[in-house]
Amino acid sequence: MSARSAVLPSGSDVRSFAARFALPATLAGLVLLATALQPAFLSVQNLQDILTQAAPLGIVVLGQTFVILVRGLDLSVASLMATVAVIATAFDATSDAAIPVIFLVCIAFGALVGLANGLLVTKRNVSPFLATLAMMIVLQGLRFYYTQGAPAGSLPAGFRYLGTGQFLGIPVNIIAFAILFAGLAFLLHRSPVGRRIYIVGGNPFAAELVGIRSDRITILCYVVCSAMAAVGGLFLVGFVGTVDIWVGRGYELDSIVAAVIGGVALSGGRGTLAGAVTGAMILVVLFNIVIILGLPVQAQLVIKGIVIVAAAALIVRRNGAGRQH
Amino acid sequence: MAVPALNLPRHGAGGVDPPKLVVAALLLLVIVAGFFVSERFGTFRNFMNVLEQSAALGFVSLGLTLVVLVGGIDLSIGAVVTGAAVLLAGTVGANEALMVPMLVGVLAAGAAFGALNGLVSIRTGVDPLVVTIGSAALLTGFVLLYTLRPTGAVPIWFEAFAYGRLFGVPVAGLVMLLSFLAVGLFLHYTPLGRAVYAVGGSAEAARLAGIRVDRTIIAVFAASGFFASLAGLYFASRTGIGDPRVGDPMTLAAITPVVVGGTVLGGGRGGVVGTLLGVLLISFLNNILNYMNVSTFLQWVIQGSIIILAVSLYVKRSNRL
Repeated sequence: MSARSAVLPSGSDVRSFAARFALPATLAGLVLLATALQPAFLSVQNLQDILTQAAPLGIVVLGQTFVILVRGLDLSVASLMATVAVIATAFDATSDAAIPVIFLVCIAFGALVGLANGLLVTKRNVSPFLATLAMMIVLQGLRFYYTQGAPAGSLPAGFRYLGTGQFLGIPVNIIAFAILFAGLAFLLHRSPVGRRIYIVGGNPFAAELVGIRSDRITILCYVVCSAMAAVGGLFLVGFVGTVDIWVGRGYELDSIVAAVIGGVALSGGRGTLAGAVTGAMILVVLFNIVIILGLPVQAQLVIKGIVIVAAAALIVRRNGAGRQH
Repeated sequence: MAVPALNLPRHGAGGVDPPKLVVAALLLLVIVAGFFVSERFGTFRNFMNVLEQSAALGFVSLGLTLVVLVGGIDLSIGAVVTGAAVLLAGTVGANEALMVPMLVGVLAAGAAFGALNGLVSIRTGVDPLVVTIGSAALLTGFVLLYTLRPTGAVPIWFEAFAYGRLFGVPVAGLVMLLSFLAVGLFLHYTPLGRAVYAVGGSAEAARLAGIRVDRTIIAVFAASGFFASLAGLYFASRTGIGDPRVGDPMTLAAITPVVVGGTVLGGGRGGVVGTLLGVLLISFLNNILNYMNVSTFLQWVIQGSIIILAVSLYVKRSNRL
């Protein structure tokens, strides 16, 4: 698409200062707004509730960011979340001892899905959009075929604790999110692998020329994304409490939108994990404001639509590029 | 504004077009298989039923083809389909006098919504993927604020659009085929049509060649909105009511015929003939799978596999990223 020429003088201190703090400032502004509308917003209880609700999306956003950084996107994450939920119930386990096994199996399944996505994108040159769209449809078909539309079986009680419980007053799924965030942020921002991800995303041809095996890096990103979607799906099941065949529906677009709002460029190579997570928080706080205002839930969609386009427009102007598909 | 060089067939003069050939062969295979699957498959009546049922898919994927040809994508199609059906049935209701003006109005509104998608994407530089996710959320939100359950009504004579037959041929199918013909001729024989390929090939080169890139992009998004609202009218005609969920599956459904028909995400290559073959392939495939009592669930698996198969067959090694 013909992106308008960028309004981007580099090296302007004021501008980069503004750019760096625009996101946190927006989030802070929204939190202030929410608190002004409803003082109880800033209560510990409410914040815990919001964060507990947001954690599964946050986990998925972490993975989605990796894929977008290498010029991809993953439309199959939501379908994968529901599929691992079905796998988890297929164990029909009652003992909490089964939880680690369930997690391992589901993460392994997710990694396989990510591997397939990554191989399609790199080795078969299928566009990420189509590869992951097809994967989404295939997973959906398999899941429905297996369950015939109505998942049966039960989950160990411990899942509920993982999704809604607290440890030392902190929601368990937030602790899990924080650990994953720290690990992946280290991988992305402090390790040689992370630097390669940015180089591959910035310019895959140049990456090949300097000896980076860009295919491997790209596949790794898809594997990370799907593994995170699997984890996110399991925590979401724990939060919701029942296995629905559509668990996670909408998370594919929400996770992409959160990352884009958070400054992760669809053109690849630009953006940070912290930014993407801030983007997710902005979405979540906005949704909460809708509820505080007593607006119908459908109004969330309207607000989401406006925020997506407005935020994306601001960020693109700042970063100076749209994307060719 | 002549662009003769860009008018050449992409696969070389006199050469064959693999995607179209592949999808035509697959279609033939499915139809031949159909004769073995059921005695009822090979009847005129069944073929006409398939044509009738393919109309909505045909409309939306025709519009999407144009958007994909310029290198864009439109994820607001399902929202527009729903919006059109609800807007028509909701405003007309028992008041038949409103019907004709509203038919025009809904199609115009669909085109305007599409044009707005294009305009916003151009003016802000935001990828159409994100813009249309946003506009779809916006439109769906308004529709659901208006109604959560099927609402309104359309005059009974409007059924003729979805169920009517002209010499045994379904009206909706006929309208779809004529739309494909019109857009196909438009693409090949008008400056704006050729500009679509030029912009999709390289927006920068097209701009240097004097093509008004922005106008072209806005026009194809408007066309996508127009055809999506036409599909909405089809559903309103079929069900007689405005269902706020009717368009949900259409956004993604529209993509399969386009890519299976050989139109490449990223733009510049492909066309409406491939898309029409893709629409017929999907429709006939679903038809024989229904005769075989294959569950909808497995039909999804098959559809996903076809996307992967087709696209990975077509992709050229040199065409990375």
